[in-house]
Amino acid sequence: MAQHTTVYGSQGRMSGAKKRAIREATTGYLFIAPATILLTVFGLFPLIYAVYISLHRWRIKKGPFLGLKNYTKALGAPKDILWFVIGIAFLIGSWYLWKSMTRERRNWAMAAKFLAVIVFIVGAWGAFTGLGKMVESGDQKMFEAFVVTIFYAVGIVPMQLGLALLLAVMLYQKIKGKDWYRMVYFMPYVTITVASAGVFRAIFSRRPESIANQIVGWLGIEPQKWLQEPHGIWELVFGHFGINLKEVFNNMGVDSFVAFILAGPSLALLSIMLYNLWVFVGYNSVIFLAGLGAIPSDLYEAAEIDGANRWHIFRHVTLPLLSPTIYFLTIITVMGVFKAINHVLVMREPAAQGTVDTASLYIFDQFYLSTRFGYASAIAMILFLVILTLTFVQNRIAQRRVFYG
Amino acid sequence: MANQTLPAKPAERQQVSFWYRYKLGRALLYFVLTFGAIVALTPFVYMLLGSLLTRGEMLNRKLFPRDPIAGLQNYVQAWNEANFNEYFINSIQITTITIVGMLIVCVLAAYAFARVKFPGREAIFGIFLATMMIPETILLIPNFLIVNRLDKMMKPVLPWLNNWPSLTIPFMASVFAIFLMRQFFTQIPDELWDAARIDGAGHVRFMVQVVLPLSKAVLFTVIIFQFIGSWNALVWPLVVTSKPDWRPIAVGLYSFISEAGPELQLMLAGAVITTAPVLILYFFTQKQFTEGIATTGLKG
Repeated sequence: MAQHTTVYGSQGRMSGAKKRAIREATTGYLFIAPATILLTVFGLFPLIYAVYISLHRWRIKKGPFLGLKNYTKALGAPKDILWFVIGIAFLIGSWYLWKSMTRERRNWAMAAKFLAVIVFIVGAWGAFTGLGKMVESGDQKMFEAFVVTIFYAVGIVPMQLGLALLLAVMLYQKIKGKDWYRMVYFMPYVTITVASAGVFRAIFSRRPESIANQIVGWLGIEPQKWLQEPHGIWELVFGHFGINLKEVFNNMGVDSFVAFILAGPSLALLSIMLYNLWVFVGYNSVIFLAGLGAIPSDLYEAAEIDGANRWHIFRHVTLPLLSPTIYFLTIITVMGVFKAINHVLVMREPAAQGTVDTASLYIFDQFYLSTRFGYASAIAMILFLVILTLTFVQNRIAQRRVFYG
Repeated sequence: MANQTLPAKPAERQQVSFWYRYKLGRALLYFVLTFGAIVALTPFVYMLLGSLLTRGEMLNRKLFPRDPIAGLQNYVQAWNEANFNEYFINSIQITTITIVGMLIVCVLAAYAFARVKFPGREAIFGIFLATMMIPETILLIPNFLIVNRLDKMMKPVLPWLNNWPSLTIPFMASVFAIFLMRQFFTQIPDELWDAARIDGAGHVRFMVQVVLPLSKAVLFTVIIFQFIGSWNALVWPLVVTSKPDWRPIAVGLYSFISEAGPELQLMLAGAVITTAPVLILYFFTQKQFTEGIATTGLKG
């Protein structure tokens, strides 16, 4: 009752404040209106629209409704997908079972662990054969594009972050000409992608006098075809010792998709990865440098008083406090690989036979060159799901490993 | 005397060895850093030298031009053959329109998210941020169809395809810019706002007369990022333009590279022409530039 009276009693006075609040809110909505409209039209609605497109036969003009046919065309027969999904579910289940049992001390925990191992084996087998059948009945080129993307990401993240961290730690010392070094390292990132990728096309040319061939020449390696080399690096390494990996796989009856994976990233893809390294190491080290600058110096002093040597300080003070930066850069880099189109478009040669086509580029080809809008959208949605899953997993890992001091 | 020198001896020896180690470490430090700088610079040097070679020198696999002044002719030839004149103007126009539009749209939104109270503010901002996670590849196809539709709808007034709207308007709402500016605007002390209100200023006046002059650094960062983004754009302009009328320079260079083939020295000259404006801008502003990027990394 008392509350009511205060509300009623103050209504006369409140209305002025209320009016002001409404005016304030209106201003707010008006201010964000242009951005909201643009983002809705070109950022959010397209996501739903992409799903709609992916459910149709759509070649420049909209065709009949296909349901999930574009998806099964890409991913393979539904029963194979189901096989794969159940396998993955088993894998996750076994992991949880194992984890929950490691804390358990009772007798049956041993049995449960044994069960977890069995579930794991079954799951792994299911996922593996399921994936194999998916590739068989689906679009093998698309699966290969995803493999290329994974090769690219897995290869680039440790090299790029490691080199960048090394440079950043060195630049963080008292050094003459620090600003000059920083400026030079950063130049590749600023350069126009098409231009620098074009230059690297010449650097990684198959001509024996190209820069890349001169450098490997100093190491005593014969000239390579670089961007025009479709063979995987393991294939080349074994080939150097006179073993034809492709023939070996053929004789063993290895499926062509598995052989594609086992051959490793093609030399052409490796060249593109080196380009990627050249562009981004400087950018990453500038960000690392900022991260290093944000670490309070009294922590270093405390560690020194405790008698820690340089390596210990780096390992137990610097690295944990840099973990948010490392996490940020890992995400940015992986995302960058999944979005990679521009430089690959410039650097790819027909001779590389699609061994450099990342998932994004494959989508772009299906859309722009083959004008399969519906099919391209379906693959785009698959890519989106993969990215979401990856982000989720990275987040889970980060929760345990990243230390926000 | 003898007593004093004796204990000093081991310390001295230690100091020497420390100094030696220190110097060696220094030398290694500078060696690695300089090596990294050489790796970073080599492609630029190669690009410049190669762009000045004559055709004969290029065919004879020379690395250094004998007559660099004569090599400048490559630039004239590349400029004319690749139609850079037109592409250059296009890129300048596209970049300018995008930056102006982006500033208007994003400053307003960032200001509202930072300093205006309205229901659902945090939730809407969260949705804004979430859109950053959607890769452009996924938006490419639907956006192409949307722009097509807009083109048909507005044909008599303002056609979108092969025209500036499709190249600029979708990029005016940059969540990244909004995010950065909001971060900056929230740090402006509330006392300033209180004082401005007592003087009878509303949000618009406070924003224009107080907030924006204080935010030059962040505005600068945002403009530079947009400049590079627009100058760099390849795939989207390739999709929405079918004629050279509005094609930006990156597309121009891309088609020149695909066509030029063996004429490497011309291709390299084209690369220099394309990348020069951005590099020049970078050299003049590199301090704010790297600092702007460093802060984005920290906040991310």
